[in-house]
Amino acid sequence: MAGTLRGFEQAFLELRGALDGADLRPEGRTRYHVELVFEEIVGNIVRYGAPQGGELRIEVSVDIRGDRITMTFNDDGIPFDPRGIGAAAAPKSLAEAPDGGFGLTIVRRVASSMRYERAADQNRLLVTLPAL
Amino acid sequence: MIASSRTSVGTIMEMKIKDTAEGVVDVALIGRLDTPGVAGIELRFTASLVPRAARAVIDMSEVEFIGSMGIRMFISVARALSKKQGKLVLYKPQPMVEEVFNTVALGEIISVQPDVASALAAARS
Repeated sequence: MAGTLRGFEQAFLELRGALDGADLRPEGRTRYHVELVFEEIVGNIVRYGAPQGGELRIEVSVDIRGDRITMTFNDDGIPFDPRGIGAAAAPKSLAEAPDGGFGLTIVRRVASSMRYERAADQNRLLVTLPAL
Repeated sequence: MIASSRTSVGTIMEMKIKDTAEGVVDVALIGRLDTPGVAGIELRFTASLVPRAARAVIDMSEVEFIGSMGIRMFISVARALSKKQGKLVLYKPQPMVEEVFNTVALGEIISVQPDVASALAAARS
């Protein structure tokens, strides 16, 4: 997919179609978690991953096997290891609440593991989720 | 009033201002609050509530998906409203949407209510 809002939207539609076909029904909890990981990880890459003035390609694959699901994200953007980002602290008041930083908190909550490597000028992130 | 927003490849996020009784605005959001959905609705959502310093209750019952961008939109509008003595209250989220609210402890800073009656009471308080 192209690392743009339009590319994001098209890829999200394709993912949901594929998940329908893989029998991960829209009303299920596992399905929602897979969509959340896509939303947060691809959203981050689209928003922050492009080199200055450059373009970005992202490849996403979802492997559903038994009781676990592995989502793989490859992109040719700037190096970024999301495991290094701390969880957002729970906000205490509206005035103090951060505007962002919740995405990776959400991913950590639903994922059982995250693996990252940088190779051949690509970011490669593997997120594993339990099939509930 | 019904406002809907069609983005480049056709996702629609819809917003209906249902009622404005007793100084409280009741707004239903319909669709997906993912990155494209938020991009499509945020400006209109903000513009319809913040300039008039609304006390607003947001019907979440037809929002099937929310991620961090949707959370960010609600925090940003709630903060702008609270500075002007307005208020934002969310009500009747679907179970998975509520799970995301709980993950980020949204209920600590924005009132989330199970139904419209309790939401209206919270908006007037």
